[in-house]
Amino acid sequence: MATAGVLDASEIGRTAGMVQAAGLRYAYRSGAPVLHDVDLEVRVGEIVALVGPNGAGKSTLLRILAGDLVPGAGTLELPARRSAAGRVMLGYAAEEGAHFESLSGLQNALFFARAAGLGRAEARAAVAEYIEALGLTAEGQQRVSDYSFGARRKLLLVEALAHRPALTLLDEPFAGLDQASRVALINILRLQAVNRGTVVVASHDLVLLPELADRIVFMHEGRVAASGRVAELLASVGRTTRFEFDLDRRPEGLEGRLRAGIRVVSDGDPLVLEVNRGQGALAEACGALVAAGAVVRSVKVRDADLAEVFRRATGSEFEP
Amino acid sequence: MTALVWGLEWRIALARRRLFVLNTLVPFLLVVPVATGAAPAVHASVVYAVLFAIFSAFGSAIPVVRDAESGIAGRMLRGGISPSSYLLQRAAAGAALDALQLTPALAVAALGAGASPERLLVTFGVLTGTAWIGNLIGPLVAATTRSLAEAALFTAVGTLLLLHMSGVFRTPLPGSYGALFEAASPFRALHESLLSMSLPGPVGGVGALGAWGLLLPAVIAVLAGPITRSLRGVIRG
Repeated sequence: MATAGVLDASEIGRTAGMVQAAGLRYAYRSGAPVLHDVDLEVRVGEIVALVGPNGAGKSTLLRILAGDLVPGAGTLELPARRSAAGRVMLGYAAEEGAHFESLSGLQNALFFARAAGLGRAEARAAVAEYIEALGLTAEGQQRVSDYSFGARRKLLLVEALAHRPALTLLDEPFAGLDQASRVALINILRLQAVNRGTVVVASHDLVLLPELADRIVFMHEGRVAASGRVAELLASVGRTTRFEFDLDRRPEGLEGRLRAGIRVVSDGDPLVLEVNRGQGALAEACGALVAAGAVVRSVKVRDADLAEVFRRATGSEFEP
Repeated sequence: MTALVWGLEWRIALARRRLFVLNTLVPFLLVVPVATGAAPAVHASVVYAVLFAIFSAFGSAIPVVRDAESGIAGRMLRGGISPSSYLLQRAAAGAALDALQLTPALAVAALGAGASPERLLVTFGVLTGTAWIGNLIGPLVAATTRSLAEAALFTAVGTLLLLHMSGVFRTPLPGSYGALFEAASPFRALHESLLSMSLPGPVGGVGALGAWGLLLPAVIAVLAGPITRSLRGVIRG
């Protein structure tokens, strides 16, 4: 993919923080607060994923960064609206976005590329490149009113990315995409970051995000619950594995009857045990319970994945 | 800024062929019975003036609200279109399309009135100017409404009020406030030019139409930011 047109740091006008938000608060008219004192810093060339369940405040935060909403409190620094070269610095794809339904996808994408400051020929080349990369070539000439959900999502991404913005905001970018398009999107965004483009995505997808994001920000009930690089977050849950046991029979004084190295995290239903990570961890935990007189009905493995990081940070299950 | 919105409006209008034909056919069919029915010129000109003025104002306000509700207006504005370009280019394209779509209706009205080509040309020019005003009123109305129904109501009431103040329904007494309003009204020229197709005479209100045609875009250019923020529903939380 071509890299021409990616804005350099001098155009961005700042080399450290592309987005700097502190103490952001937002409440909708209904009065229910959606964001509580959210801090977020995103550096130039960084890919940050906002992760959390529905209602966590991810989309609201993206809408604030996109300028669709104005925070009720807090400070927010964003790049200039346009670069010195006249390019629109922002590319934003909401989870759902309207199009000019009576025009083709190509016409839609060309309009937005031109509006973002690309010349006619440059817009054609960039749009063709992204349409092909995201697998929209077959539908390019069709009216958008005939598009499937997936094709609409791809078109939104093309429109957000074709002008190679300095700051790209994508809400649930993988929704509706086939596997090939997901991989293509990850490659596009990684390349954008290599060329000092900054990307913030909001997503539920804990399988794809580690492949994409440099840093993950877990959000829960309008707050940042945890954040860090994937490796750091995984390390934060320690070198242990947790198991959830459903027991048919629970012996009295279980905790005192387990040997050292096996810790009871929750003595409720289910029973949660934590064991040092390793090949024999499950056998060790099961064996210890049986030896203590318990009858095991079922067991769930909660390895040190990102869902577990979320669970430990918030006390809630991560439900995509 | 290039004429991206102007071009977009034309592409959309031409892509929606059925709507284009309906927009041309409906005013034409409404005018035909009046033009061929030997209606008195005074009455016929009132019908035409109301039809043409409401056609322009409705045709602007309702799509503006619809595009704001769907989110496409917000996407355009966020995507690099400036608020004033969005509103003014859209109004210009709307006025040109309205004039084009009303041409068959105006031609029938002129035929029925036995108007000379010169009178028809003058009336076409005034109609285009009035369509420009109507299309500029649309976004102003849309910015104060929260739904399509409100936009339709406010547009109908506002346009009828302006038509009334233009002396379309009743000639105001000389020296009265009504006469002052009439002299300054943007729709007076349309009414008088339509009347002059049957009863040749001077067309009053052209100066006021020109003044509104310059003043209103300037006001919209100044207020473009607040108008578009209202349309986008940018809300402080």
